[in-house]
Amino acid sequence: MIASGFFKKGSKLFLPLLSVAVCLSIWEVLHLIIGGDFLPSPYQVFKEGLRMFSVKIGGNTVWVHIYYSLRRVVIAYLLGAVTGLPLGMYMGWNRTFDKVVKPVFEVLRPIPPIAWIPIAILWLGIGEGPKIFICYVGAFVIFVLNAYTGMRYTDPLLIAAARTYGASRRQQLFNVAIPASLPSVFAGVQNALSMSWMCVLAAELVGAREGVGYLIIQGMDMYKPPMIMVGMIIIGIIGASLAVTLRWFERLVCPWRRDLT
Amino acid sequence: MAQRPDIKIECRNISKMFLTEQYTINVLDDVSLQVQKNEFVVVLGPGQCGKTTLLNCMAGIIMPDEGKVLMDGREVTGPGPDRGVVFQQYALFPWKTVMDNVSFGLYIKGVDKPKRNETAQKYIDLVGLQGFEKSYPHQLSGGMKQRVGLARAWANGPDVLLMDEPFGALDAQTRYAMEKETLSIWEKDKRTVVFVTNNVEEAIYLGDRVVVMSCMPGHVKSQYPIDIPKPREYTDPRFLEMRRKISNDTELSL
Repeated sequence: MIASGFFKKGSKLFLPLLSVAVCLSIWEVLHLIIGGDFLPSPYQVFKEGLRMFSVKIGGNTVWVHIYYSLRRVVIAYLLGAVTGLPLGMYMGWNRTFDKVVKPVFEVLRPIPPIAWIPIAILWLGIGEGPKIFICYVGAFVIFVLNAYTGMRYTDPLLIAAARTYGASRRQQLFNVAIPASLPSVFAGVQNALSMSWMCVLAAELVGAREGVGYLIIQGMDMYKPPMIMVGMIIIGIIGASLAVTLRWFERLVCPWRRDLT
Repeated sequence: MAQRPDIKIECRNISKMFLTEQYTINVLDDVSLQVQKNEFVVVLGPGQCGKTTLLNCMAGIIMPDEGKVLMDGREVTGPGPDRGVVFQQYALFPWKTVMDNVSFGLYIKGVDKPKRNETAQKYIDLVGLQGFEKSYPHQLSGGMKQRVGLARAWANGPDVLLMDEPFGALDAQTRYAMEKETLSIWEKDKRTVVFVTNNVEEAIYLGDRVVVMSCMPGHVKSQYPIDIPKPREYTDPRFLEMRRKISNDTELSL
């Protein structure tokens, strides 16, 4: 009883710490079994992290590399939202438009964003263009899908209710369908950001002089596993921070949702 | 045929069919119903007897296959703010506060904010929800949600209120309270009401007239004027007598 009480009280901080500690231990054990070169120990990776943050890699500090990656993601993400959300919502709202656009979209949808890399490079060269384009494709598809789903699953009863108050088609769209689709849109907003973030790394692995993906490739070229792993950890931490930020933003915009933790 | 001046809303020979892949379901068959101004009419019938369909036809949410609905003598061609609807499933907008839900109709009409909030406040007070203006629907109990539903419909100032089993999802206790409340609001602010239910007691408690519908296809079976003065007592001998009479006339099973 006492133990479970302690467990409950401390679990907010205790369990996450425990989970990290267990992971690090397993990592350390694996390092000892496999051997130092292929799998560096947590401490080696930590040390490498400190080193990387104090020097310039490829002419830029790690912070500048992170900035480059984030900038690509943010530009692509915003472009994806601005184009994808209205398109998806309109597909969900207008049956005729849906029938026209859906077949094309269904064929384009299963193509992974990474498959666009060669054509993106051919079209847009090797600068920022193709990288932003790849992230854009990833985010765009998810924005469209979620906006579409949110729109299609708007409770018809709410539309009927609005109609009984004499709401015009336009008023039904802006006052009922769009707010009703927001929860689903927000699910998409988060997925789209994760997708965008994953895509930027893929794009950077193929050819970039800056960005977090470049750090990893440098680590590989110089045969430095700790450097690769620091790059991976940076990716994870930034991805998680982005998700947290968005969840906070969702709570701000959709205060009526109760199932937010 | 001349329209009698005191008839507010009228269904004239309405029929409605629903087509599924295998069957054609005759939901309403030649239903006629006249409701006078400020009359409280209760349509009583078992589940699936088309009473909701009838109400939706009157609301203009769906169109009858045959016959027509007349409002003040003019044919109904779609939904409109002259007919307010209270839905069984509340149909409140989850992203709007109580205040914004109640003032929705006035917002659609283009009434400016101070004016519509003032009107909405009056009806929020009337249904006893003062203090909950800023709450969201998910923070309210079922009974409170339907109070919002009532206030929202009433605040828009419709001539006719159409209520589709509004208390069907509530527990018995809350249901009694809401019936009482509805009558007291109606006494204070009279409108023409068409109220659909499958509950005999509720029908007799509320109605100036009870219209009994029968199933498959739905049609009007009989009508009972209830001239017991309101508010009525469930244990009043006249109430019980009426209840016996109507119960014998109804198939309240599926």
